[in-house]
Amino acid sequence: MASYKVVAASFLLCCLVQTCYGGVLFSSLERTIDVTASPKEGQVLSAGVDKISVTWALNNTLPSGIDSTYKTIKVKLCYAPVSQRDRPWRKMENNLSRDKTCQQKIVSKPYDASNKTSQSFEWIIGRDIPTATYFVRAYAYDQNDMEVGYGQTTNDKKSTNLFEINGVTGKHTSLDISSVCFSAFSVVSLFVFFYIEKRKGKAASSVEQKVIT
Amino acid sequence: MEVEHPAAAAESNNGNQSQEQKFSVPVDSENKATEFRLLSISKPHMRAFHLSWISFFSCFVSSFAAPPLLPIIRDNLNLTATDIGNAGVASVSGAVFARVAMGTACDLVGPRLASASLILLTAPAVYFTSVINSATSYLLVRFFTGFSLATFVSTQFWMSSMFSPPVVGRANGFSGGWGNLGGGATQLIMPLVFSLIRDIGAAQFTAWRIAFFVPAFFQMLTAFSILIFGQDMPDGNFQRLKKAGEKPKDEFSKVLFHGVSNYRGWILALTYGYCFGVELTIDNIIAEYFYDRFNLKLHTAGIIAASFGLANLFSRPGGGIVSDAVSKRFGMRGRLWALWLCQTFAGVLCIILGLVGSLSVSVVVMIIFSVFVQAACGMTFGIVPFVSRRSLGVISGMTGGGGNVGAVVTQLIFFKGSRFSKERGITLMGVMIIICTLPICLIYFPQWGGMFFGPSSEKVTEEDYYLGEWNSKEQEKGSHHASLKFADNSVSERGRRLNASTRPADESTPTHV
Repeated sequence: MASYKVVAASFLLCCLVQTCYGGVLFSSLERTIDVTASPKEGQVLSAGVDKISVTWALNNTLPSGIDSTYKTIKVKLCYAPVSQRDRPWRKMENNLSRDKTCQQKIVSKPYDASNKTSQSFEWIIGRDIPTATYFVRAYAYDQNDMEVGYGQTTNDKKSTNLFEINGVTGKHTSLDISSVCFSAFSVVSLFVFFYIEKRKGKAASSVEQKVIT
Repeated sequence: MEVEHPAAAAESNNGNQSQEQKFSVPVDSENKATEFRLLSISKPHMRAFHLSWISFFSCFVSSFAAPPLLPIIRDNLNLTATDIGNAGVASVSGAVFARVAMGTACDLVGPRLASASLILLTAPAVYFTSVINSATSYLLVRFFTGFSLATFVSTQFWMSSMFSPPVVGRANGFSGGWGNLGGGATQLIMPLVFSLIRDIGAAQFTAWRIAFFVPAFFQMLTAFSILIFGQDMPDGNFQRLKKAGEKPKDEFSKVLFHGVSNYRGWILALTYGYCFGVELTIDNIIAEYFYDRFNLKLHTAGIIAASFGLANLFSRPGGGIVSDAVSKRFGMRGRLWALWLCQTFAGVLCIILGLVGSLSVSVVVMIIFSVFVQAACGMTFGIVPFVSRRSLGVISGMTGGGGNVGAVVTQLIFFKGSRFSKERGITLMGVMIIICTLPICLIYFPQWGGMFFGPSSEKVTEEDYYLGEWNSKEQEKGSHHASLKFADNSVSERGRRLNASTRPADESTPTHV
């Protein structure tokens, strides 16, 4: 009897520990949401200019009641594996509290289980979105803000239906011109100083010559 | 008979002039200050100190301005971790040869012109950081900006020219330490400037570009200040002294030869690679280490990273002060022992840093480690001024360059790619510190001794050692007079115990004019 109690206690502890770390594992989530996004496969969009339309709805082939805990849907822009390679700050981790795959939020909308119609949103790509290859994923959250389901525009291997965004360069002609002007000033002023030093040196040595002779 | 040495002739003619120069601090026979007054800006000694540390600080700020803004830059330029690592190595490798070249330049044209030229010629690299658009251009601007770290050599040379042996350790320690502070300060300054500019209304990817104008402009201003307010030596500037014959023109090849043929310079270059080189490596990797291993926010990791560099405020000067204090009692032997003990202990702490797994213990160990490794840097430059007088610049340059070589080698062996985890790399780096500090045992000055042996039984004097760098022809011309004065002033490195017994009774204390 005592051993059962120990097992039960440690099981409870593990569950609590899991909630402590907020560690919902991605592998434990079911793909329950159908998500589509307007960019076609391989399309290149420009940040700050182009728009992305996302549409999402619960997959109607699933048994009913699966969405009973869903309270919010957050749609996110996620990095494709090619943009995660050799970039540990975008690394995928199974523990969603440490996962860095989806860093840009597109939209967050409350979910009504009784309303089965699909929802959509049009999003202007922000000017701070970096150049990379992306897909779109939607997470369903329960009332404790824990992930309970997801859906994405690509397949499980994340190899299909990826699109690219070209970020803004942030460069400006005025910055380019200022750089050149200040740099030139820096170098030229050095030679001006040299010239002044040489002239002072000549004057000093001619004075010394007069003193010696 | 009219054949007088040109130096002596000019001296007697201008003797009245230079003797009438009133200094507000006490000076020795070379007019070097024998006291170090931190809060004064008196001309020329303390003014030189403040100009040199501020300009060196600005070079450090510029060289390490990119790392704290990397989260923005890497997205803007689509950088990979390999690109970032390569640029980090490039940022410290440029200075390897620049430091040696700077040493020679100081010997030939003086620290004022040498440092101001380098600063003004590298400022364009910092300005051009705002127009880069690829991984290659990012690497190039960090490489060329890194050249400015060679101002370290001119700083140490300038301090060694302005301050007398009993205080040269602390002068070098304060100027080097407060300059290195820039590496820590920049981790706080750049994010602040960036967020200010972004809040005014600029887009993120434009704001960081504008932010780089701040360190670039500051760097330029410090160079102008050096040219306008600075002075090479207590007696005046190199050019004027050379033209007036007071500072004889020296031959580049001879200066270089006497520098590179002195084995002590090479040993110090190696050991400096494992205190300063380690410091540079840590500057480049520590924020990422805390971010990844302990899952901190980038902002928090940056503050911890900054505290490593900020310890330079007191730890490096502390090393210089301890070196000077130990030398008063035990002479040069004391300086050597202090350096070996301090740096070896830093190595032990580095091993521990890689092994601890808790965040708070890790931060504490890192801070204690930073104090000891930076103090070791300060102590190294308490020894460098005594290795050579004729080729002081070359020795300073070799040691300084060795520091950067250490940073390059360490980053390539332990922190490139994924062969070692960062914590393993840090522990192995600690082992390497201990091994590469052992050669200090081999440094031996015949007039003062080494770690394990006393001064030579042949009663070699300081004059013998320093005049050994000049051959008889040069001595006939009188080129060696500065070395003679320095030899005289450096008898303080015998330590107190031997001072009374070995010095002739009629010689007065080093502060005679």
